[in-house]
Amino acid sequence: MAEPMRDLVQIRGLGKTFESRKGLLGESRRLKAVTAVDLDIPRGKVTGVVGESGCGKSTLARLVVRLLRPSEGSITFDGADLQQQSNAGMRRLRRRIQMVFQDPYSAIDPRYTIADALLEPFQVQGVRLSLAEARAKVDELLDMVRLGRELASSYPHQLSGGQRQRIGIARALAFRPDFLVLDEPTASLDVSIQAQIVALLEQLKTELGLTYLFISHDLGLVRYFCDRIVVMYLGRVVEILPEPRAKPRHPYTRTLLDSTFAPDPTQRRDISRLTGEIASAYDLPAGCAFAARCAFADETCRAKVPELMTDAFGHATACFHPLN
Amino acid sequence: MALLEVSDLSIDIAGIKPLDGIGFSVDEGRILGLVGESGSGKSLTALSIMGLLPLIGGRVERGSIRFDGIELTAQPEPALRRLRGRRIAFISQNPMTSLDPVMRVGAQIDQVSRLHLGLDAKAAAARSIALMERLRIPAAATVYHHYPHELSGGMKQRIVITMALSADPDLIIADEPTTALDVTIQAQIVQLLMELVRDRGVALILITHDMGVVAQACDHVVVLYAGRVAESNGVKEIFAAPRHPYTKALIRCIPRDGMTPGSLAGIPGSVPSVAKYPSGCRFHPRCPDVLKICPEAVPPLEPQPFGGAVACHAVAARVTHG
Repeated sequence: MAEPMRDLVQIRGLGKTFESRKGLLGESRRLKAVTAVDLDIPRGKVTGVVGESGCGKSTLARLVVRLLRPSEGSITFDGADLQQQSNAGMRRLRRRIQMVFQDPYSAIDPRYTIADALLEPFQVQGVRLSLAEARAKVDELLDMVRLGRELASSYPHQLSGGQRQRIGIARALAFRPDFLVLDEPTASLDVSIQAQIVALLEQLKTELGLTYLFISHDLGLVRYFCDRIVVMYLGRVVEILPEPRAKPRHPYTRTLLDSTFAPDPTQRRDISRLTGEIASAYDLPAGCAFAARCAFADETCRAKVPELMTDAFGHATACFHPLN
Repeated sequence: MALLEVSDLSIDIAGIKPLDGIGFSVDEGRILGLVGESGSGKSLTALSIMGLLPLIGGRVERGSIRFDGIELTAQPEPALRRLRGRRIAFISQNPMTSLDPVMRVGAQIDQVSRLHLGLDAKAAAARSIALMERLRIPAAATVYHHYPHELSGGMKQRIVITMALSADPDLIIADEPTTALDVTIQAQIVQLLMELVRDRGVALILITHDMGVVAQACDHVVVLYAGRVAESNGVKEIFAAPRHPYTKALIRCIPRDGMTPGSLAGIPGSVPSVAKYPSGCRFHPRCPDVLKICPEAVPPLEPQPFGGAVACHAVAARVTHG
């Protein structure tokens, strides 16, 4: 019997601290954007990361594709430790690890034609293509994201938001990667276009055998699209749902679910109990970061940070008083 | 009689006509959802009601906007100015478009009641703080002295809502009031607006692209597409039995519990820009039920036998022929 396949990405003790200075001579302030994250990303699955402003989900995405270097901890991709890679080694790995951004408009040079934008990844990687090869590549990538080949000579501003995001996806697919990190890829799109893009991502995943890390603030969308859901709050993973319909045990996940309105007026939520604001990541409280908003918080919660504990079914919760 | 009655509203901005024959009404103590994607004309409808079209070089070309018996389209600007902020209040998506960054928030709220209700400084401050407390702004008396930049996005939006309520308006128009906010904060603001409508009997027009928010909060829904009303109905009816192909498709774009993977399809193409509106029914290039007549004739908004109104040739054909 073959050994069970190792997870594609293994994240251990990952942390990122940003320092900023208040004014020219002011004290430096430290912002812990991501703290002690352990996470495995299984092959061929969609792992969703959900949370609100300041939860660290976008920082996590940037750490995983190494647009940012971690302050502590490690990320292993298919057995290779990203921290140990030389620049050349990292460049080779970049072909296999790609990112799709929320705003494709800011990721594409406005002076490039769509064909130029689609060929840019090859330039960056130092791959020389003949004119015929380049043409064939552009056609192939446009086909992959279901765009007409005639768009090759257009400029980004001539495209709709949905078309631009398809170009963003096509660029990420240029080297047939194994792993795509999708950072809120539909957040700035209309719902009809969001649904198109999600459908495309579903098809591409099957066709190309991709693994996704899908970052979103939209729990409804994550529950539809993802196989597993990681919930973050102020830099930490507070819960991992092993399957999208699993019942939340962390009070924050429960709150997030209660705040997500179903498109069904017969299922109105009672949200009268919901209070409080998200604290600043600059001065995090000593204990559980959610304690200030939590109905179940006690002295322990305010003094100690609860550890993320995983049960036999892979359901992980960081809470002293989990719901059942 | 409805508090606000908009009928056959068409506007003109420098020769282009982004709204064509919009009609709906809102009653006191009710929430009307004005729904559609970018470019559907939601915000222009709001601007028209507020009488602010001249600001963007536009004018009402046809139709009527009646508010509490007053024909707004016939009012001179000074009369409109007395209504705006006093009887008709506006909440925008970005609270910073309504807040002055260099003025303490308390003073900004005070301005409304001093201007419109003639209160003196002391009475205005007391009124503002009491209202802030009603909107569950913690430590209201302290926040009163803060500048906008010292507050979170959700708190700023609460300040804008306090300002909107300060002159006791009869109608509030909220244009995507929660879109820029985090989901848990969005839920609190939606709850707050629902309570205000219930407790004070104001009428609320909630402009949104979020069908979840519509299902949660609204009593009645008007679906706009490319500057025209596609369908209108009660909230339960429109979600249980949407009739216009656009309404159906829009609802299917939102993931909900029990949906199987791959069932989210979206709507092919995108909303046309004003300059490129298709002939006939403007939805016909994206419509799965398109008939021969659709590109040729504009479907009228027809009242339906079991309530609501739909502007669709395919629906009309089914009603006529059974």
